[in-house]
Order: sequence, then structure tokens, then C-alpha cells
Amino acid sequence: MTLNSVVETDFPEEFIEEMEKSSDVLPKKIDANPKNVEKGLAKLVLTLIELIRKLLEKQAMRRVEVGSLSEEEIERVGETLMKLENKMKELKQIFGLKDEELNLNLGPLGDLM
Amino acid sequence: MHDVAIKSKEVTLLEVLDRVLNKGVVVSGDIVISVADVDLIYLGLKVLLSSVETMEQLRGAPITGPMQEPT
Amino acid sequence: MKLYTYGIIDSSKQINEPIYGLERACVYNIPYCDIGMVVSECTEPVQNVTKGSVLAHEEVIERLMGYFTVLPVRFHTVFDGRGGVVSLMQSYYKDFRDNLDRLRNKVEFGIKVIWPSDKIKEHIINTYKKNDQKVSVPDDSSNKRFIRKKLEKYKINEEFEKKANKFINVMDIFFSKFAAEKKLKKLKTKNLLLDAVYLVEKDKQDDFKEAFEHIKNAHASFKFLFSGLWPPYNFVILPKKNDLVRNLAQEDLFDKVIQHQDLVGADKI
Repeated sequence: MTLNSVVETDFPEEFIEEMEKSSDVLPKKIDANPKNVEKGLAKLVLTLIELIRKLLEKQAMRRVEVGSLSEEEIERVGETLMKLENKMKELKQIFGLKDEELNLNLGPLGDLM
Repeated sequence: MHDVAIKSKEVTLLEVLDRVLNKGVVVSGDIVISVADVDLIYLGLKVLLSSVETMEQLRGAPITGPMQEPT
Repeated sequence: MKLYTYGIIDSSKQINEPIYGLERACVYNIPYCDIGMVVSECTEPVQNVTKGSVLAHEEVIERLMGYFTVLPVRFHTVFDGRGGVVSLMQSYYKDFRDNLDRLRNKVEFGIKVIWPSDKIKEHIINTYKKNDQKVSVPDDSSNKRFIRKKLEKYKINEEFEKKANKFINVMDIFFSKFAAEKKLKKLKTKNLLLDAVYLVEKDKQDDFKEAFEHIKNAHASFKFLFSGLWPPYNFVILPKKNDLVRNLAQEDLFDKVIQHQDLVGADKI
């Protein structure tokens, strides 16, 4: 059986690795096991929280870079961001989730993170 | 050299899978029985589950193996 | 009789040449107006995804491409009978028709590029450190130090993305010269600089390939993958109507969220 479509590359292994990492090729088995439904929900919620947290961080960095924050504001933002980051680490640990798992693939918009 | 040949077949299959499983005209709902979304399973529909074992099977499939290949 | 579907074609005529699909069944065309859905009869209940069936599916579509314009249908879309097939074409006639007209004589190519991201990042970090244009954030508290570190990471990342965009633009300009449409995914992973698909007119495919070779030779430290020619999987545009037909590639975040909710039974919790 032959296909007209040909895939040419000198580095098949490297591309396989990247394609698998970007995880929109291989189906993931989703557990309908009630034990894991909770984990699935946590994953969704934490993913969205991570998105917001990272956007806030990015916004803060832009303002620090441009110099539009006072020293005191920088101090407070630093404290808040640090607390948020630590809280997220804690939550991830509680639900046994890794960073790579909290990444929604948005198709044409690329990955969330 | 042989190993590269195997990997080349694998990357070709991944390119095919990415297209036929994900893209094109996707009809869903009760009027069809279809392959589950690549990373989602609609619990409400009687659809097949692409199991992890199946995918392993797919990736480990020998080049000249006794798989059901028409022709 | 269950009908396994392969694609929608711009013809209501029968298929002259025998083409065999899954279960070695001969495919035929179910017409509607001036279009049709190519199907084969299948008896087995829905199976697992196997290499053989996936390749058989793809091969049918590619054979059809030799005679018609084809809108490929997703793997393993099975209807319970002719009625469903005809009713689908009836509901989406205009959309299918528009896509067939737009995609006539056009084929899809895929290009993926891996770049040496670690070296690039290293270079950026070294330049940053040398520049001494240090962050003007005082470091007299742990909170401020936290911000400093974040800011450094942020700046490095911004520069990283800027470089990525520069390379991508150079490549895309070249490829786009011979492409009617395109879809680009930038930095899908830190190593996968570009994952792109281009819609190219059949008679421009050699020029397109040449453009690719040129770019490949101009970036010796990058790794390239070229795939084609494909049916226009990534360029079928369908609106969302009654959730019956959709193009997965176009789904937005909200849909994904809803689907995840269904998946985890959020409404039951």
C-alpha cells in the first residue's frame, strides 16, 4: 500500500519527540473511573488558574520593565506573586499534577502556556 | 540505517494520524458512530475508546507485520 | 447497512475505477445535487484505531484526489444508513459546495522546523548578562529579589520569542509566495519553532518545494520536516451549526472548557 503523501526528514526521531510532547497527535486515555473524575476537574480548574496567574505575572513584569511601578508597589506585587506561586505549587502537589499536565492545547492559538 | 527506516515510518504515521483523527470534516452527535476525539471522550455517546494499548500497538507495529492491511 | 465515510467530492456521478477501503469494501458515491459523499459498507462494530485501517482510509482519499476535489472526513465516521448521509449533505450543501470550489486544484503541505533552542537561549542569557543593563529593581528584600528574578526570566523569554518570530517570518515569507492559504503554529514546544501547513495550487508545488529547499539550506543548524502532498485536511472551513459538523482545528477555548466539563461530569459534582 502506498500513499502519495511523503514525509521527508533527516531527523525523524527528533520530530517524533516534539510531536509527542505537543500532545495533539496521540490520544490520551481519559479515565472515567470515579476516583479520577475529581482529578480531572482539579486539572481543569488549576489550568485556568495557572493561566490567569501567568498572565498577571506577565503584566506585572511589563510594568516593572517600563518603570511604572513605585518601589513600594514592586514590593507588594512581589509578595503577592510569590504567595500565588507557592499556593499553586501546593495545590499541584495535593492533586499530584505536574506542570505539563496543566496545559490546554488551543489548536490554532497554540498551547495555553 | 534500519532504525532510521523504522522511525521514518513512525513519523509518517504520526503525520497521517494528526490529519485523519483531528482534521477535515468532523461530524459528531448521535447520527454517527465515530472515533472519539483525540483527547476527549464523549461519555454520552456510544463511541470507541482509543485505548493506550491500541496506540502502543500502533507504534510498536512492525513494518512488515501481520496487520490487517488491505492489498 | 452501516456506511463508512471517506470524503465529500464535487461530483454526483458514480466512481468508475474500483477503489477499496476498509474491510476491503468497494467505495461508491452517494450523490446529492452536484456533490456526493464517498462511502463503503462496513459490517464490523466500531473498532479500535489500527494502523491498517488508518492507512486504508487515507489511501482512499488520496486515490479520490486523482479524480475529484475532496473534503476529507475524519477517520471512522460511520452512519447508520443512507438517510443520515443525504441529510448531512442537505444541511451543509452550501458549506460543502463553497469549500469544494475554494479547494479545487489545491493540495496541502506540512512543514515543521526544530531550532537549537538551548543554544539560542544560552546566547540570549550571555548577552543579557554582559549588557549590564541590569534590572533597575533594588534587591533589598526577598519580595524585590523575587521580582528581579522574574523580570530577568521575562526579559529572556521575550527576547527568545522575538528571535523565534524573526526566523518564522523569514521562512513564512518564502513559503507564502506559492501558497494560497496557510496555518502557522509558532513555538508549539520550545524546540518546535514552527509547525505549519500551506495550501498550494497543484501547479505551484514544485516552486513551493524549491522554496523549502532554499530555506533548509540557509539554516544549516535547524532541522526540517517536509510532508505532502496531502488532501486539504487543515483548510476545510465549516461553521458551527447545531453542533453537527465542526472543524476541530477551529474550536475555541470555551468549547474545550465545556467539553472538559462534560468529560469530568462537572455538572454531576
